[in-house]
Amino acid sequence: MTLAALTILVILLAAGGFAHELAPQGWNSIDLSPRWQNHPPAFANGNVFGTDNLGRSILVRTLWGLHFSEQVAVVGALLATTVGVMIGVLAGYYGGVSDSVLMPFADLVGGFPVIILMLIVFAFLRPVTIWDATLVFAFSLWALVARVVRAKIASIRSQEFVEAARALGASDLRIIVRHVLPNASGVIVVALTSLVGQIVIIDATVEFFGFGVDSSLRPTLGNLIANASATGIGVFNEVSLGWWAWGTPALVLVLLLVSINLAGDGFEAALDPRRRAA
Amino acid sequence: MLAFVLRRAVLGFLVLWALSLASFCALASQDVLLTNRPLLPQYWTWLKGVFNGNSVALFNKPAISVPNPLAGTTLLEAIGHTAALLVVALLLVFVFGVGLALVAAVWRGSFADVALRGLSYLAWAVPAFLLALIVQKALFSIGNEYGWGPFPLAGWPGSCPPPLGLDAGVLPGCPSAGSGLSYLANLGRYLTLPALVLAVGLVGLHGRYLRSSLLETLDSPFIVTANAKGLTQRRVVLVHALRVALPAFIAAVLSDFGAIFGAALAVDWIFGLNGLGTVLVSDFPGPANQFGFTNTYSVQMVVLVAGAIMLLASFVAELVLTWLDPRTRTAR
Repeated sequence: MTLAALTILVILLAAGGFAHELAPQGWNSIDLSPRWQNHPPAFANGNVFGTDNLGRSILVRTLWGLHFSEQVAVVGALLATTVGVMIGVLAGYYGGVSDSVLMPFADLVGGFPVIILMLIVFAFLRPVTIWDATLVFAFSLWALVARVVRAKIASIRSQEFVEAARALGASDLRIIVRHVLPNASGVIVVALTSLVGQIVIIDATVEFFGFGVDSSLRPTLGNLIANASATGIGVFNEVSLGWWAWGTPALVLVLLLVSINLAGDGFEAALDPRRRAA
Repeated sequence: MLAFVLRRAVLGFLVLWALSLASFCALASQDVLLTNRPLLPQYWTWLKGVFNGNSVALFNKPAISVPNPLAGTTLLEAIGHTAALLVVALLLVFVFGVGLALVAAVWRGSFADVALRGLSYLAWAVPAFLLALIVQKALFSIGNEYGWGPFPLAGWPGSCPPPLGLDAGVLPGCPSAGSGLSYLANLGRYLTLPALVLAVGLVGLHGRYLRSSLLETLDSPFIVTANAKGLTQRRVVLVHALRVALPAFIAAVLSDFGAIFGAALAVDWIFGLNGLGTVLVSDFPGPANQFGFTNTYSVQMVVLVAGAIMLLASFVAELVLTWLDPRTRTAR
């Protein structure tokens, strides 16, 4: 189960990552012949998932959407995890003042509805670029990582092997890098995977509101679905893009999220010997 | 206890104040009506208005007349609609989450358990807005443009259904909201679909966690003791094991409230519940507001309410944890 999920995840990540090679024509390449506008899935001409109302291949747009969504989610999650781990170590390992200053701050940042935060930031930054979105996610979600890492490190710090290392004269840096962090790696990896999933889902929701990256600038999975829904699914509008225009990015989004969650739970189980036995 | 409540209250007010200042500056700089004076005096006018009611009265009252089918929803109504959606959805999450965990506890490893677990992964992976669109689309095609069976596709009791689908020009008379019990029945009809849609993903995520923590609890020694003393399985699972597994579940749901609230805004908009989400989308430049006007006074209130609800949720989470798990009481 986990293996299957990992395989799908790797395939999706690779497809998004190699979008430059797989679809070198870019996300705005248009087929001008009227026959290829709003065309349902067909095997001719390579438009396996159909085209949108401008004659752009849904397959190519979804691939690029995956590319940009991945960039936001993976880079954002990595940045957030890096910051979160550093602050978690500072608060959990040293305790004292750094703990009592940093943790309430983390609670404050972490307790905030990210969607509203996005709204405020995006009001300033319109039109939003991929990097804007990435950095906003990184700056607002590090607190979740910091909280779990701090709890884990505070419990590791009081264990005997850390005492032993200190008695042998190891420096703080050595203890943290060689003894504490490896023992907290399970928590960190799980937090990282769940963060990637969360960013994908929040990003899609924000873009669905029309507050995120604009699909006319850069397609992402979220704004592709939002675009199709603004002109089609849902019962509010008569102008219709075909079901394939939102169905394809939606399917990729769901596949991505299922495989991330399964892989994350797999990591968690593999890194926790108690659960492996059970 | 008093010190704890006071500390949280002071922190909460500081957060709300900072938040309102930041978001006001962000929004007002985009608002064509508020650029004639510097930002800080504008903010001061708004802040006074929060306390004397002027700002609240301007909620959802665009000074530039844009065609907004929902104009007239007051702040209290909008909050009430969103709160009703959240309460019903959270009740559903609780019921179905506990149900999922109990199925696993009673028939561990059975087909039902494995199937439900698989479904829970799928459920969490479909964002609420996407599920809402799919449900609406599907029920539109098997029902008609106003709903499927007793369940309307959009609207709030007493609101005129928005012009839907191909018959956009033809409106039937507005159904009455009813009063007393019939109002409650209507409310149930209108809220069923949105609340279910909102709850599905949360059950998928938190129900699965509850399931694994309940199974872990059932493996612990005190359950063996309880079984050995001859208690019925019902009593062991419901009273002994569930009581241990529940606090973490409730705390997790409440600490996830930011995401839940965001999803509720989207569902609210799609199902036309005239709540905070609908106002937010129609008063901020985006797909539903093609004119691109920002109504600072509306969005500001949504931001403020969202912040207050978040702070309240984390406060309630701590209280619930303390109440259900006495061990955390000494920790403070």
